[in-house]
Amino acid sequence: MDLFLQQVLNGLTLGSIYGLVALGLTLVYGILHVPNFAHGALYMVGAYVCYFTMSDLGLNYWVAIAAAAVVVAALSVICERLVFHPLRHAPPIHDKIAAIGILLFLEAVVQMYWGADFRRIASPYNQILDIGGLTLPAQRLLIIVGAFSLMGALHLYLKKTMTGATIVAMAQNREGAFLVGIDANRVAMMTFAIAGALAAVAAGLFAPINLVYPAMGHLVLLKAFVIIILGGMGSIPGAIIGGLIIGFSEALGGFYLSSTYKDVIAFVLLVVILSIKPTGLFTKGVR
Amino acid sequence: MLKLEGVDAKYDSFKALDGVSLEIDAGELVVLLGANGAGKTTLFNTISGLMKPAAGRITIDGKDVTGRKPSALVQAGVVQCPEGRKLFPGMSVLKNLRLGGYVHRRDRAGMNRTLEHILAMFPILEEKKDQPAGSLSGGQQQMVAVGRALMGRPKLLMLDEPSLGLAPLVVKQVFETVQSINAEGTTVLLAEQNAYAALKIANRAYVIENGKLVMQGDREEMLGNEAVRKAYIGA
Ligand SMILES: Nc1ncnc2c1ncn2[C@@H]1O[C@H](COP(=O)(O)OP(=O)(O)OP(=O)(O)O)[C@@H](O)[C@H]1O
Ligand SMILES: [Mg+2]
Repeated sequence: MDLFLQQVLNGLTLGSIYGLVALGLTLVYGILHVPNFAHGALYMVGAYVCYFTMSDLGLNYWVAIAAAAVVVAALSVICERLVFHPLRHAPPIHDKIAAIGILLFLEAVVQMYWGADFRRIASPYNQILDIGGLTLPAQRLLIIVGAFSLMGALHLYLKKTMTGATIVAMAQNREGAFLVGIDANRVAMMTFAIAGALAAVAAGLFAPINLVYPAMGHLVLLKAFVIIILGGMGSIPGAIIGGLIIGFSEALGGFYLSSTYKDVIAFVLLVVILSIKPTGLFTKGVR
Repeated sequence: MLKLEGVDAKYDSFKALDGVSLEIDAGELVVLLGANGAGKTTLFNTISGLMKPAAGRITIDGKDVTGRKPSALVQAGVVQCPEGRKLFPGMSVLKNLRLGGYVHRRDRAGMNRTLEHILAMFPILEEKKDQPAGSLSGGQQQMVAVGRALMGRPKLLMLDEPSLGLAPLVVKQVFETVQSINAEGTTVLLAEQNAYAALKIANRAYVIENGKLVMQGDREEMLGNEAVRKAYIGA
């Protein structure tokens, strides 16, 4: 039983990270209507900014995460302005190709400057907590609490503020949004900034229990795609719950079945769920 | 208040508007008649800034707004209630209405006043205000669409076939509402195929065919015109 609960905790950790990455992806999908393949690269850049803010500038972990959020949000907005905005009237395939271009470009730049070495961020919190017989490293607790607070904050922002509502409005009916006077550029930039910041924070939270290297975004991005396909493209609760489903199944599957195949589990699940419910779990009839 | 001079609009190479010139004065209720595919929606979308005119000039109160963004036009007081409503289906009725007042978001008190006014105009929306707009009936959704447009406090309200697909009783109600909105001082441009009902509440009308304005006149002229009766009233 304890072993099981232990895996549930691990699943929650993974799921909250995946959820954060998938949230950004799903928000951008709502605006762009194409999957942003560059999202994984933004995640990777976030981890690097975090790493170097700590190692080279000697700043504290939290400052590093904040710096990563700001830098990647800006980078994400630059991608929108320089690449996706000029392509807004082009066929969707152009956006996809451009997104892959950004991905390759960012990876190459990072590799050129910082090399392909594997690096590790030291967690400032090395304590191991003991919760009723379960061991929980403080860093994992931090991930869970941090990720869910961020999701909560995003939820409040989208639901309770007028600017947040413009993002949802744009995703639900683009022309309708224009006709009430919502400015497409503002919404697009805001969405890309939020998505970038979420990816960077996810990377910063996850990095101390993982490795930092140029290709670190690949698997996370693929899983984030699985999540938003599962949850329904553009669905926000879908991204969070989808993230948890993948996190749990990976932790449990990796433990009870085979840790070698844990990365395959997400994709097996995708095939199974899509053959039962092809539109994803959370797509409503209205869209 | 609104003036178009020689406006062309194109879908790729297809010219959907061809040299459209029209003028609407403040306080008027003007009807735009035209068969399916005549170019009514294209004209509205061009005025709203969703489409850029390929030629010509559009002015509002003498100010050139040709090629401006939709948000700039809403800011200038030109608000469209579009064909097909284009609501935010997953959001509550109230949220849809509030977003209609997006350009006045800093004026909370004013927004609440307009909102109250609209809910008084459509009592059913008060009842349904927390339901997702997409779950309402067609007529109720049309009320949300009209209400959302009114939340923008338009100087010029453009309504694109608001009676489309509604039951006769609801259609009557929609026309009464349009008339009362106009009576309260909002200039209205109304596109309709329901020519008789529309003309009855109008000051003037234009007729559009194949992207060209082919006729105009005041209510009596239009109602008495043989060609108009034949083509749009069927009597
Ligand atoms: N997105 C588009 N791409 C290409 N052609 C279009 C497009 N939208 C409209 N058209 C064409 O432009 C012309 C005018 O269409 P428009 O929608 O403005 O007509 P309408 O008067 O609003 O018709 P309805 O009463 O059916 O709404 C039609 O010939 C139509 O086929
Ligand atoms: Mg039309």
